[in-house]
Amino acid sequence: MHSLSVIMRAINGLNRLIGGIFSWLSVAIVVVCFWVVIERYFFGNTRLWMQDLYPWLSGVMFTAVAGYALLNNDHVRVDIFYRPTSSRNKAWMDLIGVLVFLLPFTYVVAIYCYTFVARSWGLREGSANPGGAEGLFLVKGFILVFAATLALQGISMLIRSILILRGREDLVPHDYRYETLMG
Amino acid sequence: MDLTLIGEIMAGAMFLGVIGMLMLGFPVAFTLAGTSIIFGLIGLSLGVFDFSNMAALAGRYTGYMTNEVLVAVPLFIFMGVMLERSNIAEQLLTTMGKLFGNMRGGLGISVIIVGALLAASTGVVGATVVTMGLISLPAMIKAGYDPKLACGTISASGTLGQIIPPSTVLIFMGDMIAGMHSQAQMQMGNFAPSAVSVGDLFAGAFFPGLLLVGIYIAYMLFMAVVRPESCPATPVPEDERKDLPREIIVALVPPLLLIIAVLGSILGGIATPTEASSVGAVGATLLATLRGKMSFAILKHTAHATAKITSMVFVILFGASVFSVVFRQMGGDDLVHEFLSNIPGGAMGAMIAVMIVMFVLGFILDTFEIIFIVLPITAPTLLLLGVDPIWLGVMIGVNLQTSFLTPPFGFALFYLRGVAPASVSTGMIYRGAVPFVILQIIAIVLLFIFPGIVTWLPDQLY
Amino acid sequence: QGNITWRMVTTWPRNFPGLGVGAQRLADRITTASGGRLTVEVYSAGELVPPLQSLDAVIDGTAEMSHGAAYYWQNKSVALSFFTGVPFGMTSREMASWVRYMGGQELWDEVYDQFGVQGFLSGDTGTQTGGWFKNEITGLSDLQGLRFRTPGLGGQVWQALGVSVTNMAAGEIFQSLQSGTLDAAEFVGPYNDLALGFYQVCNHYYTSSFVEPGLATELVVDKAKYQALPDDLQAIIRDVSQAEYDQVASDFYANDPRALNTLVNEHGVTLHNAFPDDVVEAAAGAAKEIIGGILNSDDDLTRRVARSFIDSMNLTRTRTEATDLTYALARQRYLDYSDL
Ligand code: NA
Ligand code: NA
Repeated sequence: MHSLSVIMRAINGLNRLIGGIFSWLSVAIVVVCFWVVIERYFFGNTRLWMQDLYPWLSGVMFTAVAGYALLNNDHVRVDIFYRPTSSRNKAWMDLIGVLVFLLPFTYVVAIYCYTFVARSWGLREGSANPGGAEGLFLVKGFILVFAATLALQGISMLIRSILILRGREDLVPHDYRYETLMG
Repeated sequence: MDLTLIGEIMAGAMFLGVIGMLMLGFPVAFTLAGTSIIFGLIGLSLGVFDFSNMAALAGRYTGYMTNEVLVAVPLFIFMGVMLERSNIAEQLLTTMGKLFGNMRGGLGISVIIVGALLAASTGVVGATVVTMGLISLPAMIKAGYDPKLACGTISASGTLGQIIPPSTVLIFMGDMIAGMHSQAQMQMGNFAPSAVSVGDLFAGAFFPGLLLVGIYIAYMLFMAVVRPESCPATPVPEDERKDLPREIIVALVPPLLLIIAVLGSILGGIATPTEASSVGAVGATLLATLRGKMSFAILKHTAHATAKITSMVFVILFGASVFSVVFRQMGGDDLVHEFLSNIPGGAMGAMIAVMIVMFVLGFILDTFEIIFIVLPITAPTLLLLGVDPIWLGVMIGVNLQTSFLTPPFGFALFYLRGVAPASVSTGMIYRGAVPFVILQIIAIVLLFIFPGIVTWLPDQLY
Repeated sequence: QGNITWRMVTTWPRNFPGLGVGAQRLADRITTASGGRLTVEVYSAGELVPPLQSLDAVIDGTAEMSHGAAYYWQNKSVALSFFTGVPFGMTSREMASWVRYMGGQELWDEVYDQFGVQGFLSGDTGTQTGGWFKNEITGLSDLQGLRFRTPGLGGQVWQALGVSVTNMAAGEIFQSLQSGTLDAAEFVGPYNDLALGFYQVCNHYYTSSFVEPGLATELVVDKAKYQALPDDLQAIIRDVSQAEYDQVASDFYANDPRALNTLVNEHGVTLHNAFPDDVVEAAAGAAKEIIGGILNSDDDLTRRVARSFIDSMNLTRTRTEATDLTYALARQRYLDYSDL
């Protein structure tokens, strides 16, 4: 049980780290997009690479932090039955959800998008727009980052469910317990 | 049985299956995707689904990750979170409360007006309800308001953000409807369709937003006359009234300038919504700085909240893409097309059917899920039948605004529950929403009968 | 028994004049010619995958065929630009000659072999128009800061002249012109442009492009699946594509001038046959620099494609200029049938 808890905490730490870093891209999006507007309206100038950059930053941001958002229970649920129920029942629902919905989803994304992403990396693919930004392959790579961070967080949720169902909620960090997350 | 029929039955079953599975309470995005994969596997065994179609996800996801129009979503979210942190709402609520306090229903009207102002400066619903619930609800109850009326006013006004531009919901709908509209037009042989954009949808939603504000205020005045005890006046002491004009200017002018800069440049056709949203985000940051609210912690909070909310919305879109790949391949789109085309009453009959389905789904689902699932399968047919694309988007926007207010799963009600004092029961919050849901339906009917309320402004602009 | 269904994704909207219609007709011809043994189902832009993901869809097996333009994939290999057309490059006649008789197809196969697909010419718009401008262009100085929608290598040429270039989807152009986000735009030619309604917002129409002298479309097939087909089905795909190259070009040749008449007579559009000399000269210089850059690419195959393209064009242009152009000028100068 203790080793499971260690794995869970490690995954949470990883997603917290990724989320903490990539959240800052939102500020970068503001800055780059605003600068493009300033250049366009005040200097009559555009740089094609910058026009690519801010949508890409947005794409990277929302894929990279998906696992972090799951860690914080920020992905919306239809919680008519889920919210009022006991922690044990929540643990069961999450256990089933991760196994039946989340992991198959991340598996399908990873398997069916892998060759697409790998090819893009092989070509060091840049913008489809000549004169556009380099590094589209990095953006596409985040489809796999998305699948991986979500799958990991799913495993962390599985462990949480197992710990709670085995009566070892004490091994779940406070900020990862249902009563904390459900506010 | 032939494969087309099997496929269509499977597609129909999948739609209902998804709705059922969502009740388990697992995050919507993954439930959508996971259930669709299960139905895909069943479809595979019946010979009506080919898993190689799943490779289409890579292209679709890349499309969303590089979409210039959709960048307005994080930018408007950033703007909204930043404004929320600069305590503009608090200041507005206090000053407006003083301004209208002397009349019956005045506090309620001030909540509605502040709700509308905040709606015009932010793209998301949520924070507004919380802020108004924290500040105005105790004030209204202290003044002797009927808690049900107070709660209803706050939850309804807090959801105006969805329909009064800028609105993230309208951005997604604008992006989706634009593509479907040009496809539908070309399919009908019109290769010069008037393009539809997010900006058009914003323009189309402007007057319906004002209409809702007007209806809410009219209702409040009506209550003040019919049941004066439900919304008593809160006289403001003379010494507090002296400073009021200055307070109003200080509270109102900065957000108004921001609203005019952002909305004005979009509606005036000067800037695209994405461009304007970046100006809005910078403007909100500037405003927070001027008000002395800026700090590293605030910036960090804004960055984190923006990233998480954006991710939450886009991940639903990712999950809904799996649904759409499976649903289309199994012939579900054709099924919906046939069904809608054969409804008596032509375009209007089909429109009413779609609106009712969305309204009903609104009881259990929230706006984004409904749009990402239902819009792609119904809108192409509605547009082919001749429904105006801007009107369609705005009608859906107003319709789904009620999903925030309808029990058992209404976001605004949840948010309010989270911050309401213990003396206010959940039942009061739920019952308080009922009149506003009815007002919402009245608005939908008005927009249905007088589509010009929606289409007039976009027509004038271009 | 043994009937096959293939999915064809396209980069064009359904029923789009010339191109979307051409893709659908190509699919239908294959279905008919094969007696239904090979049925091709068309998914238009965005129906299965976003328009600019259709090559990936074939490579990844989501579809068996893609109908589009090779230069959309220039970020996979710069060499692919040449199989659609490049600024100051070949006309459609010259292009077909290069691909069919001067080593073009072999090089194209070599490029696409890397992705397990094969390309065929499947249509051609002919020389495109220069674009729609709100104000007349009188010289290079009018271009500075001008906001112009024009994609591809052509966009880079314009950018080198001081233009502020953006790329956006067909459906967004009209409104951007209207709202002032754009000052000018080019799409294809009168046949499509009339349909897109640009005349309502721009009055100056330049009828000859130097950046898209002949735009060829392609049919891409999954190579392994193609080669697994019986010989007759392979031949049907190949021959239908070849026929469609000509069919689409004829469609544009017949309908572009009709549309242009409508634009002038019914909508009062002001025509300019060519851009001012200093613009064209500067553009040719910029194009030479860009193509020269590709000729010095790190990639051997890209260098060979560029070399072959330039060598072939140097040869075929002598025929075009000495024979076709001389004749066209003579007819323009001395023959007038308008009184007959
Ligand atoms: Na709003
Ligand atoms: Na609801």
